[in-house]
Amino acid sequence: MKIEDISKKSEQLITIKPEDLMPLPYPYDTPDADPAMRELTQDQKNRYEASLDGVLAIGIPKPETKEIEEELIRKFLSGLAKLLTKENNWTFLQPLLHSLEYCVKCQICNDSCPVYVASGKQEIYRPTYRPEILRRIINKYLKKQSTLSLKLTGSDIELNWTLIARLAELSYRCTLCRRCAQVCPLGVDNGLISHEIRKIFSQEMGIAPKELHESGTVQQLKVGSSTGITPKALGNIISFMEDEIEEKTGKKIKIPVDKEGADILLLHNAGEFMAWPENTEAFAIIFEAAGINWTLSSELVGYDAVNYGVWYDDFQFAKIALRHAEVAKALKVKKISVGECGHAHKAMMVIADRILTGDLNIPRESAIPLLADLVINNKIKLDPGRNNFPITLHDPCNMVRLMGIVEPQRQILRKICPQFREMEPHGVDNYCCGGGSGFAIIQSMNFPDWRSAISGRVKLKQVLETFQDVISPDIPKYVCAPCSNCKGQIRDLFNYYSVFEKCNIFYGGLVELIANAMVDIEKPFIEWEWH
Amino acid sequence: MRIFLAILTYFSYIFIIAMYTIKAAKYLKLPVHLRWELYPVMHEENYQYGGSYFEQVDWWTRIRQKRYLRGFLFLLKEYFVLGEYFQKHKAYWYFLYPWHIGFILIITFHILCFFGAVAMVFGITISSSSQSITGIVFYYAILFTGVVSFVTGAFGSVGLLIKRIYDENLKQYATPLHYFTYIFTFLIFISGFYAWYFIDPTLSEYREFWKGLITFKFIDVGCGAATHIILFNLFLVYLPYTRSMHYITRFFGFCLIRWDDEPNMRGGKLERKLQALLNQKVSWSAAHIKSGKTWGEQVEEPKMRS
Repeated sequence: MKIEDISKKSEQLITIKPEDLMPLPYPYDTPDADPAMRELTQDQKNRYEASLDGVLAIGIPKPETKEIEEELIRKFLSGLAKLLTKENNWTFLQPLLHSLEYCVKCQICNDSCPVYVASGKQEIYRPTYRPEILRRIINKYLKKQSTLSLKLTGSDIELNWTLIARLAELSYRCTLCRRCAQVCPLGVDNGLISHEIRKIFSQEMGIAPKELHESGTVQQLKVGSSTGITPKALGNIISFMEDEIEEKTGKKIKIPVDKEGADILLLHNAGEFMAWPENTEAFAIIFEAAGINWTLSSELVGYDAVNYGVWYDDFQFAKIALRHAEVAKALKVKKISVGECGHAHKAMMVIADRILTGDLNIPRESAIPLLADLVINNKIKLDPGRNNFPITLHDPCNMVRLMGIVEPQRQILRKICPQFREMEPHGVDNYCCGGGSGFAIIQSMNFPDWRSAISGRVKLKQVLETFQDVISPDIPKYVCAPCSNCKGQIRDLFNYYSVFEKCNIFYGGLVELIANAMVDIEKPFIEWEWH
Repeated sequence: MRIFLAILTYFSYIFIIAMYTIKAAKYLKLPVHLRWELYPVMHEENYQYGGSYFEQVDWWTRIRQKRYLRGFLFLLKEYFVLGEYFQKHKAYWYFLYPWHIGFILIITFHILCFFGAVAMVFGITISSSSQSITGIVFYYAILFTGVVSFVTGAFGSVGLLIKRIYDENLKQYATPLHYFTYIFTFLIFISGFYAWYFIDPTLSEYREFWKGLITFKFIDVGCGAATHIILFNLFLVYLPYTRSMHYITRFFGFCLIRWDDEPNMRGGKLERKLQALLNQKVSWSAAHIKSGKTWGEQVEEPKMRS
């Protein structure tokens, strides 16, 4: 396949065959171990632009007329031009231009990309492929290089709707894990280019996956949470959690809500309330035991730490970041602490750092160092014997490679989990779970199959290799993933491959392990019930 | 010929310095961006495992120990080792490394020629049997850097050309300019080698030529040396149009982007810059963006409501 083939009309640019995929270890080392990825129906193919790889993350409807198609091409170009201006894109202009102008195409980054490697090295997933397309479009259509110059710089490419529709989908085949950037000796960041391409589609053309935009950021700003939880529903959930805590532990805990002047405003990914309430319950139990002065918020947006804007749209990102800060300011808390959610960590502490000014620049930190302080300094009584099963740690990219929070979670696990073992590689060299950059929540058509079979494949391989000596289903094992989206992806990945049934590998957060080790709780906090 | 050579040399050096300065200034004038760091950050205390100040409770209350020199030395070391390439793509490194060493040494060679010429103006004889230690040091340093650069550079140029042609991963993304560059650099290095090996084994012509340049008493050089000088000068003019600025922007990229973990503190200089940027008007046209309003105005509404 040639680079310029992206403009050529065909039913599909590539087809992923099962035999191309990176092999997995036992018990998935047989040819039939991989479930068949669902194909799009003929109706879906007729309605949506699906000619990239037969997978749909966005699902862009096919333009009905030639005029609409031309308008979309014009808009793409105007968006690309805006992306290169200070006024419209000061937020990322310097990193973007650096990556566009100084890549020497040495391809050293290729093998660091889990999607490229897992797919059997499909050309379109190569980390340098997307940037190359963008560079060629810029050279030909914005810089308007001469024909000779285009030939010399290898920049000739035909910009048409086929290319644009494929590029839109292709920007959602990169998890933004930025492993490729980490190995680049010149500081080029091909992950950033995927991020910037997504921005053209969202900020200029209004095109983004429904789960990120309409039912993501838009819903969060309107209803209060991307999960759809309203402030009223939150009240019911909190009552339910209090009841469940009492049932599980015998402890009567009143979860503080909207407590003015608290030391800490704790922000959870609201997905935890819905899918893993045990995580938020464990936080409440630990904070209560440690005597921490904390609160949740019931204000719109204030009870959901997520900020999907960080993956596709600077404006949606900024709106949510601002709401979070406003909520904290109104509550007069000393600081915001972010629960187990990787992207919320990065969004709130790193990216929003240069959006929030004045009195909205409220101190923000991760809850994990605080938890480490409680555990290491014996501020709560723990018995490591209660966690005596094989445990490994998944490092969420946002929290680790992109923020440098590496050791506190390990200090906790080393202290309370006698059978803790590292994956290889780990820490800042970790592999993405496969659900990064919004993938974990995108449920569009056959995309969940792609993210299990392709983007999550290297993570599955790592987990299986880590537990290979105890792989028998007779031995319960635990993957600790201190991130909501990573947990969602691991849940779907394990479901896809029936990992729990075949290998008895469970997953969960970090605080659950701490609560499980608390000596004043009689029954095990972790219930080993698959959900 | 002597005038032509001199003018071409003056022009090419002034040209490359001016172009690189303009490009560097353009890069540095770009607005401050949102943070987008990647760990390990070399100036951080726990850089060995990629730790950051976010690992501490109440991190904003603690004094940060930043070691900029460590980052600088790391980048400097990488110029001479190209460690990532060695680890990740050895077959490429075997050619890339000599090519880069060729560049580093040929630049050093010209710098030494310049300072050697200054020394000559002050009456120091540069030769292996010079009465002055400085003259002997210059003699061998010029000879060493020149000859090693010609050999390694020529070898690397050919190797990279072959690699770009036959390595499937590289071939797909190679452009005619890549091939041209390798051939061009090969000609530069091989012409230097030819002039040294067959015509001027002590490289005295280069030293005399440079002395002429700084005293404005231009001299004629032999055909071999002249060919090399012309090619090298043309290369200096060509360089700003390639991605060669990465020798410099690599520093910028690491210091200003990849390792930029500077927090925005209330009332600080950074905050003032950000406030100015937030006052800029945007023209994005998606429905959820108010085209023509400032960044600040985009995010002001809706106000909090329960």
